[in-house]
Amino acid sequence: MRKIEKRSIFCLILAALLGLGLAFFCFQFVVDGGDWASYPYNRHLYNNAGQLKGGTILDRDGDMLSTLDEDGNRIYNDDATVRRATLHAVGDKNGNIGAGALTSFADKLSGYNLLTGVYSPLGTGNSLYLTIDAYLNNVAYQALNGMNGTVGIYNYKTGEILCMVSTPTFDPANPPDIAADDPAWDGVYVNRLLSANSIPGSIFKVVTINAAIENIPDLFQRKWTCTGSVNIGGEEVTCPHAHGEQDIEEALANSCNGVFGQLAVELGGETMQKYADAAGLTKSIKVDGIQSSVGKFDFSGNDNQLAWSGVGQGQDTLCPINMLQYMGAIANGGKAAVPRLIEKSTTDYGLPTGIYYPHKSAQLIDEKTAGTIADMMHNNVIETYGQDRFPGMDICAKSGTAEVGADKSPNAWFTGFLRDEATPYAFIVLVENGGGGSSVAGTVASQVLQAAVEKAY
Amino acid sequence: MNDALQQLLDRLTALLAEKPLIGAWYTTVVRFVFPLLALMILVGAIRSLWKVKHPDEVWGYLVLRNGVRLPITHWENIIGRAPSCDVQLEYPSVSRQHAALIREDDGSWTIYDLGSKGGIKVNDLPVDEYALVEDGDTVTFAGIPAIMEPITAEEKRAQMVERRMEGKPAGMWGSLVLLTLFQILTGLQLIIAQGDKATTTIPLTFFVFTVICWAYFIVMRLFRRIGFEMETIAFFLCTLSLAVTGSTVPDELPKQLIAILMGLAIFIVLGFFLRDLTRAQKVRWFMSATAVGLLAITLLIGSSQGGAKAWLRLGPLSLQTSEIAKICYIFAGAATLDRLFNKRNLWMFIGLTAICGGCLALQNDFGTALVFFVTFLVIAYLRSGDFATIGLVCAGCFGAGMVMLTIKPHVAARFASWGHIWEDVYDKGFQQTHTLTAAASGGMIGVGAGKGWLSNLPAADTDIVFGMLCEEWGLVIAVLTILCIITLAVFAVRACRAGRSSFYTIAACAATSLLVFQTCLNVFGAVDILPFTGVTLPFVSNGGSSMLSAWGMLAFLKATDTRQNASFAVRLPSRRELRGEE
Repeated sequence: MRKIEKRSIFCLILAALLGLGLAFFCFQFVVDGGDWASYPYNRHLYNNAGQLKGGTILDRDGDMLSTLDEDGNRIYNDDATVRRATLHAVGDKNGNIGAGALTSFADKLSGYNLLTGVYSPLGTGNSLYLTIDAYLNNVAYQALNGMNGTVGIYNYKTGEILCMVSTPTFDPANPPDIAADDPAWDGVYVNRLLSANSIPGSIFKVVTINAAIENIPDLFQRKWTCTGSVNIGGEEVTCPHAHGEQDIEEALANSCNGVFGQLAVELGGETMQKYADAAGLTKSIKVDGIQSSVGKFDFSGNDNQLAWSGVGQGQDTLCPINMLQYMGAIANGGKAAVPRLIEKSTTDYGLPTGIYYPHKSAQLIDEKTAGTIADMMHNNVIETYGQDRFPGMDICAKSGTAEVGADKSPNAWFTGFLRDEATPYAFIVLVENGGGGSSVAGTVASQVLQAAVEKAY
Repeated sequence: MNDALQQLLDRLTALLAEKPLIGAWYTTVVRFVFPLLALMILVGAIRSLWKVKHPDEVWGYLVLRNGVRLPITHWENIIGRAPSCDVQLEYPSVSRQHAALIREDDGSWTIYDLGSKGGIKVNDLPVDEYALVEDGDTVTFAGIPAIMEPITAEEKRAQMVERRMEGKPAGMWGSLVLLTLFQILTGLQLIIAQGDKATTTIPLTFFVFTVICWAYFIVMRLFRRIGFEMETIAFFLCTLSLAVTGSTVPDELPKQLIAILMGLAIFIVLGFFLRDLTRAQKVRWFMSATAVGLLAITLLIGSSQGGAKAWLRLGPLSLQTSEIAKICYIFAGAATLDRLFNKRNLWMFIGLTAICGGCLALQNDFGTALVFFVTFLVIAYLRSGDFATIGLVCAGCFGAGMVMLTIKPHVAARFASWGHIWEDVYDKGFQQTHTLTAAASGGMIGVGAGKGWLSNLPAADTDIVFGMLCEEWGLVIAVLTILCIITLAVFAVRACRAGRSSFYTIAACAATSLLVFQTCLNVFGAVDILPFTGVTLPFVSNGGSSMLSAWGMLAFLKATDTRQNASFAVRLPSRRELRGEE
């Protein structure tokens, strides 16, 4: 009998496994319960049309962006332009915009909580305050003036995204019929700031120079002469025109492809990859749980390909939000606050239902290098872009004009940050097929930044 | 009578329809009350089962020449030099496993030689294979004499007092009253959730069930039994089962009630039958034959349901025979003639398992086949401790499983979607994603019985019933349900200490392992921790056959409860015995 007693441990092991599995399930239940509940087939939270039954979305000032009317129908802001400007932040009724608050933050809107599940005795639906400002979104939307692209501005000290516009957009109160293959609506459901990759063009030169400063000791003593074209790896790397003799600071202000192509080759593919990784461009960012798309970089090609990659003109792509965070890190001594979208959430009675606070990113860039690059980017504005377009701002920037195909106008980029203590904002503007980076995207940035600085959040 | 009741009910639902706030408030309040009630009902029972000390029972002594009295604490004892022996004789001439001393039902003892080197003598007569030992006889183990001494009536009484003190069962009346309250509130909640569709079935079913619970407790109490923890747990789980049934298919409530009644009947009959060890051992061939017969007949003339040909239709009744076969299988597996003889002869049992497993595979019921297999492992290991044979069997089954996966694509498909359910929410991962969404919707306290939507899905009250528990009853009650099953397992294992016969011990361990493993498959399959297999949750799932088998399993557990007066499945000493008369 004593033997059997010992062997019965087998049953105990089985029981322990059941207990362990149960504990694991409970852990998942606590951590992921909100996500599990937030599926449109959940009749507790969604009506038969798959629309969320409860919840009000407001901007940082408390302007209503979306709520339910008395009959339980979802309604939006009164102003049609605001509706369009905030569509990708708020989301549409049918849940097509996956990164919108209606879908991504459904659990926080519905009033789901761990204790009472979806069925709350304290009324239905919570109020969710986003970090964006509807007014600023409006300004950005109008500055884009019908062109496709995105505008993102965020506070690199607190992580709050102040402006997040993506175009093309539509009025969620009167959604148009959108054919799947209609080029006019290409990628309309995608939030271009968070969920789409684009060829970076010259804004990527910031990463190249980051690598160069730390790996080429005599970088600042060197001089280059640009003839408009240089042979690297058997093929030409060209500039729009000959830049003549220049040092590294001028080369960045001129955005000279020849110089940066040669630097990339000198640094080598491995080093370039290391710096792209360190800058956080190849990792997804979690914006309050919304996963940004992941940048793709490949520096393993031949020298010519490597040179083009070094000027951001290879096959490589990045997600704008990652570049935005990198800009924040340059401004903030190497570490930025991770971008976030939720300011606070409360019940109908104003009781807070969650805690939201800033998170720091990893060290994306060395602090000293960051200072050097910031000065050079400020020099860009003085020398090339024009400080008078950004009145009263201590601004550092880099433009980009990314070729996207032979018969297409290039994508215009403009990214950078303000160094003012009162307005610690990083920004990124992308205008698809817009043309010149500084002229087109820079103009959009100028308008939105002036509005942002004026409001000084 | 029924009409009058229906009228009353209609008036109630009409009132509720007129003032919906009453119903809403009721649900809001009882949602918080249910977990509390459940805790109060179960915590007592669970704690009591965990705390049972299982005091040693002494059935006699072997008195050595130097005066040392070695207690005999089981009905089956191995005597030898090895520390794993029940009675250890630390003399070099004694073999490691020298002899087995076994108590028959009439109280007589028999000694068996286990191929010892030094041999055995009883009153100086050499023992060839076995010999009867009477009180006062001298048994000599390889030259070491020991006198067989019975315990006195006084000692017996003292032991009973001790057992009564150490293993006092939890008070039951409090639990019963709370359980009744739980049942009443549940019935009301279901009526509110049903609204004007509610029929008298709901209140009547719950009323009858409450009466059954009280009747069982009172009758058992009249027979001087005082341990009711297991029954409390089972009655509670059955209440949940009725609630789940009432939420999905209210018309099936009477059927489920009858199933519970029949389960209770099986529990009692089997429990009484198990009292007599010789009787129980005698029917093992019959049980083997029944297990195989049931499965084979189903294979021949059974009907399909849900892809498995596992159902036997007998007029209006449809029986999932594999559930009944489980009881017979454990019975047959635990009852071996050689009892403690260490012969390690597993091949008959392996053959029985192979036939059962084969039938189940042919029925396309792989979940149940897996349950049988794990039960087999437990029984085989407990009986023999023989890793080599069991390893061999495992390897064989692994091979067979692999073959099965290649020729049965639907089984492989379940493995393919395992862990990837969120990638195909509406198709391959349908059952698990919907289970999890519904489960999360319930939070800790549930949305209220009858208020969920998971009940509209296929198999909501069977395969994914855990999701329904979470949604309508909340995580607290769902977790308590599983804790109940774990408690039964811990009780069974700890009961081994005072186990009288290996039959009871092995049967209890096998039954509890079966319950535990089946719970694992059901719960973890539904929430995507394991692949989806589609077995039932014992006591909770809607379904008559599975209810019968769950109660049958409980009978094996009840038979190991040796606390004084606790279990009806353990014979009380008669008054004559207590007086110490012959």
